[in-house]
Amino acid sequence: MSAMPIVLPSNRDENWKYANLRGLARARFEPAPTPEAAQVKEIAARLPAALPGYARLVLVDGHHVAALSTAAAGVSITQEVDAGAHTGADQPGADQLLANLNRHFRQGTCRIAVPANAALALEVICVATASSHPALDITLSHGAKLQLIERHWSAQNDQATLVNLHLAAHVGDHAQLELARIGQHGAKAQALDTLELQLGASATLRLVQLIEGALASRSTALIEHAGREASLEWHVAALGEGTQQHDAFVHVTHAAPGARTLQCFRGIATERSRVAFNGHMRVEPAAVGTQTDQSLKCLLAGPEAEANVRPQLEIYTDAVKASHGATVGKLDPDMLFYLLSRGIPPATAESLLKWAFVSDVLAKLPSPELRAQVAAALERQLPGAATRALS
Amino acid sequence: MLVIKDFHAKIGDRKVLDGLNLEVPAGEVHAIMGPNGSGKSTLAYTLAGRPGYEVTAGSVSYQGRDLLALAPEERAQAGLFLGFQYPVEIPGVNNVYLLKAALNAARKHRGEAEVDAFEFLTLVREKMKVMQMDEAFLSRGVNEGFSGGEKKRNEILQMLVLEPLLALLDETDSGLDIDALKVVAHGVNTLRSPNRAIVLVTHYQRLLDHIQPDRVHVLARGRIVRSGGPELARELEARGYDWVLNEAA
Repeated sequence: MSAMPIVLPSNRDENWKYANLRGLARARFEPAPTPEAAQVKEIAARLPAALPGYARLVLVDGHHVAALSTAAAGVSITQEVDAGAHTGADQPGADQLLANLNRHFRQGTCRIAVPANAALALEVICVATASSHPALDITLSHGAKLQLIERHWSAQNDQATLVNLHLAAHVGDHAQLELARIGQHGAKAQALDTLELQLGASATLRLVQLIEGALASRSTALIEHAGREASLEWHVAALGEGTQQHDAFVHVTHAAPGARTLQCFRGIATERSRVAFNGHMRVEPAAVGTQTDQSLKCLLAGPEAEANVRPQLEIYTDAVKASHGATVGKLDPDMLFYLLSRGIPPATAESLLKWAFVSDVLAKLPSPELRAQVAAALERQLPGAATRALS
Repeated sequence: MLVIKDFHAKIGDRKVLDGLNLEVPAGEVHAIMGPNGSGKSTLAYTLAGRPGYEVTAGSVSYQGRDLLALAPEERAQAGLFLGFQYPVEIPGVNNVYLLKAALNAARKHRGEAEVDAFEFLTLVREKMKVMQMDEAFLSRGVNEGFSGGEKKRNEILQMLVLEPLLALLDETDSGLDIDALKVVAHGVNTLRSPNRAIVLVTHYQRLLDHIQPDRVHVLARGRIVRSGGPELARELEARGYDWVLNEAA
């Protein structure tokens, strides 16, 4: 299986123009071994504090570790062990490449099913020690509600790891999915993921995502408004430093009438990093009454930093309200001088303004405990700002 | 407190201040008046160290120190406060955080410990009462969505918390209704003390009805062209600026 030829998308493919997949080309594709007891014990000691009200599911290199997980009453969380077997046919198209790789190499699929009108708050922590292909399959029945926090964490900060996650979710009619995604990978990690999400009638999906850490990351999201009057909110903050490269591609298909999509991206590129966001909306002929709004902003905070934000609208019906804005700029000199004029040192003032730039997104993270944990983790990148600003 | 000698400054290629001389002793309130474009705001910004405002000649002594040698934040930490004509909105940074960070920066500069949380809130609440501001303002982004009057009150609130030695208030009266003007003036008056100086930049006499200045200066064509007591402001209100400009020509 490790000899399977991998044809990667090239930078000539518009949807992959800013993705850095070089680490993937060098990676070894082998099934990750089941974590040993000593390893589990070590990881247990370093996991973040449990979040009140949230059940916890821990995956180590894609393996469900029951000893570190907690039960969630009234819902079904199972892992079907596929033992590396290929699960289903490859899907066509470059945007499915990473999902297909996951299907080939996943160690099993964690299935989370929330019955009709039931509610669940769940934290999924994906720990990487080497290469892993975690797979989550989520089904929300009619009127179900799931608050899901998906966190990624590298066991060793300086270890080269590969995480290639696949998350599929069917959000049934009138169901609600609140998905918080926190990517805090190690400095040498390659973080890849593919999300395939389908929304039923009057379903709502609210995503809040923080992208940071990792040498290179690529996030591909393919979303379909399949039912009428579904609602999607997509809030993403990305922080790039050093030579990091973060690239996110979100493709939303409006296939049914009356649905709404709000997309908000805030990226900060410092030093020599590169941050990119490509938001593509496709409105099908049947999707009359669609409303979309894209606000994509990037802050360049380094002489060699690079930012690319691209809103794309592809509309095949007339009755649509669509707005979009995309900007790339530097720290506002008036704001900076205002803070300096109050005696705030320049480094703190810059840090505060960077924090302010992404705070709208991060303030939407659920649970004050999670916000505090995230703020503490950002203290190194935004010194003096994050912890105090969230308090 | 403040001694400005033969001060020249420009913005880009435009010369704005042209040989300005001014002395403001501790304990006094001075008003700087003048027509539009005379250089009043430029003087305030340049003294506060705003980038883009280039000093080309002259000296500024603040408490015996060379003010121009200090970075903007160092000037503030040393007790200089600029009240902005157009206070900047900073969404995402809340007021209380800015107040605390600014106060701690000044305390650190003086070699004092960071302010205790309880002591800080007590202080801020006391000052907010003076400015008749609701405590809800504390948790809002700095000036975010504030009306013009609220922004000016917030400027004075910051000043009261920081207790600067030298306050430069740039058109603090603009955009204020009569009631708000009285509140802002009351806030400024509470700060008057023998060891502190206040410079009011204004167009109109009405602010000076509520804050009695010790001296009034007319700034025109980049320099002080006339100085006098409070009666000068009343004369300007009655006669306009032309007669002063003609005399200075």
